Amino acid sequence: MKILIIEDEKGLRESIEEYFTEAGNICETASNYDEAMAKVSMYSYDCILLDITLPGGSGIEILKYLKKNNNTDGVLIISAKNSLDDRLEGLDLGADDYLVKPFHLSELRARVTAIIRRKTFNGNNQLVFNEINIDLLAKTARVNEQSVKLTRKEYALLLYFLANKGKVVSKNAIAEHLWGDGMDLANNFDFIYSHIKNLRKKLLEAGSNDYIQAAYGMGYKFTS
Amino acid sequence: MKLITRYNRVNLLTTVIVMLITGFIYYQVISLILINQLEKNLEVEEDEIFEYVDLNHHLPQVFKSNDQQITFTEARPGSVKRQFINTVYRNYNNAKYARRHPHRNDEEFETGRGLITSVTVGNKYYKILIVVSTVEAEDLIQIIFGITAGVILLLFVTLYMTNRLLLNRLWQPFYYLLKELRLFNITDNKDIPLEKTNIDEFEELNKAIISMSTRVKDDYKELKTFTENASHELLTPLAVINSKLDTLIQTDSFTLKQSKLLSDLYSGVSKLTRLNQSLLLLVKIENRLLETKEDIDLKLHIEDMLVQFEEIFLDKQLHVMADLSEKELITSTYLVDILLNNLLGNAIRHNHAGGEIKIKLTDALLVIQNTGATGPLKHDEIFARFHKSTESEGSGLGLTISRQICENLNFTLNYSYQSLYHIFTVNF
Repeated sequence: MKILIIEDEKGLRESIEEYFTEAGNICETASNYDEAMAKVSMYSYDCILLDITLPGGSGIEILKYLKKNNNTDGVLIISAKNSLDDRLEGLDLGADDYLVKPFHLSELRARVTAIIRRKTFNGNNQLVFNEINIDLLAKTARVNEQSVKLTRKEYALLLYFLANKGKVVSKNAIAEHLWGDGMDLANNFDFIYSHIKNLRKKLLEAGSNDYIQAAYGMGYKFTS
Repeated sequence: MKLITRYNRVNLLTTVIVMLITGFIYYQVISLILINQLEKNLEVEEDEIFEYVDLNHHLPQVFKSNDQQITFTEARPGSVKRQFINTVYRNYNNAKYARRHPHRNDEEFETGRGLITSVTVGNKYYKILIVVSTVEAEDLIQIIFGITAGVILLLFVTLYMTNRLLLNRLWQPFYYLLKELRLFNITDNKDIPLEKTNIDEFEELNKAIISMSTRVKDDYKELKTFTENASHELLTPLAVINSKLDTLIQTDSFTLKQSKLLSDLYSGVSKLTRLNQSLLLLVKIENRLLETKEDIDLKLHIEDMLVQFEEIFLDKQLHVMADLSEKELITSTYLVDILLNNLLGNAIRHNHAGGEIKIKLTDALLVIQNTGATGPLKHDEIFARFHKSTESEGSGLGLTISRQICENLNFTLNYSYQSLYHIFTVNF
């Protein structure tokens, strides 16, 4: 997939670029308004990560430009402004999602993957990874055509891992993804462990390979 | 003490003192004048006696008179010194007197003024005593004094009433202003409504208050803007730290010690993030930027939330008892979510393993009560910013935000402690 990262903060831009760059992915970056406009007007991307506050102009203007030109690029707004109005304005102008800073790269990756999936697999709601087959519409999973009964959170967890294949995902990121604001309730992440243990057990019982690995006590990794 | 009471007290006291003094002087002066008049009459009578003696060389006949009594007594020559005296006046069957004092006997003693003088007739020396009644004069004094006292009393009452009415009226703008000042809320965008007045002092007070409130509000707004900006500015570096951490853990393998350090870094950053978000949220709620109106089925909302927290209840072995009845709200879902999240979150966070949480929802109120490790908390302190128990891992803003939300939604949030339960009640 081809991704454009429009973000003026160098540190963040580089991290995102590094996280997304892998075999089969092309990442381009823009650090200001003019550069971003030049790129979006010349090339097309699977997904554009758009910061709203940019040197030289507003990300909203870029969004307006894309909408005016019936551009079908997926757009994910990454903004420091967590206000409902901004969010609604962005989504009204055709953005596909809105992520507030600070965020975990794994969360960003999951959101971007979801956007691209929606854009590219028109009508096809199957997500296949080796022997694992996920029906995104019915929210069910099968391993080797054998259905696996997953709870809502286990299903979300599986999707999250698949979007971040080969990456170490921190427990914090997982907790925030599954519980949102309720996350800060528990400082030990034992309850995450039990979810992951259950998911892993169910997949293994259905005959899948063992993909989920603990990573040095601070996270998990879905190996491919 | 009210100003008017104080003013009246001083004012009336001075009036009474001044009036008493003037009354006394008045009485004395009038008495003096009247006595003086009587003495002149006595001297006229004395002159008449002298003239008569000069002319006739014998004593005049003594008449029984209504007005005066004259007595002659022989005395040793030179023994009488001429002087005025206070004496008694013997009143005989006096028609005028009897009419006035019918209950008295025919013969009465009245106060009188007398003149002792002497005359020599031939070779005989006589002491003359002329006495007039002072009753008439005293009656006059009494009448005059009575009228004066009446006038004084009238003046007194009038003064009191006028002061009362006038002062109450005059101070009206002041009381109005006081009422408005009590209602003044720094977070409100309303100005203090002022009444027009043509009294200079109040006009100045109004002006001063307008300028003060504007200044206070401006300062407060500036402070809020500062908080908001500072929080915003913090978000980007936080995002950088977060993303760098996420990148760092993708690199080579770590030792146990390193991964422990990384975990601590993660939780530090996420705590900072939440704190920052709470601050931003608080500013937004105070600025009333989150006032959308949506239909909310509160019962359904709470049930959803309980499902969401299920794993955490299990993890902490908390028994949750919910008694929910239907309740509809028309307000911001976002705010209600945060409110429920905070209250329920507190009930979980400050609970002990194996504890209880009871949730009750009726049409009028929502009660969330939980067992806890600590005893009763101080009602005033728990809603203060950054107040938290030593072992709390929260931001210390949760209850402040909750209360602010309740204020914005016109609910009230109260805390109480009853038989081992911490109870938070939201009255709709």
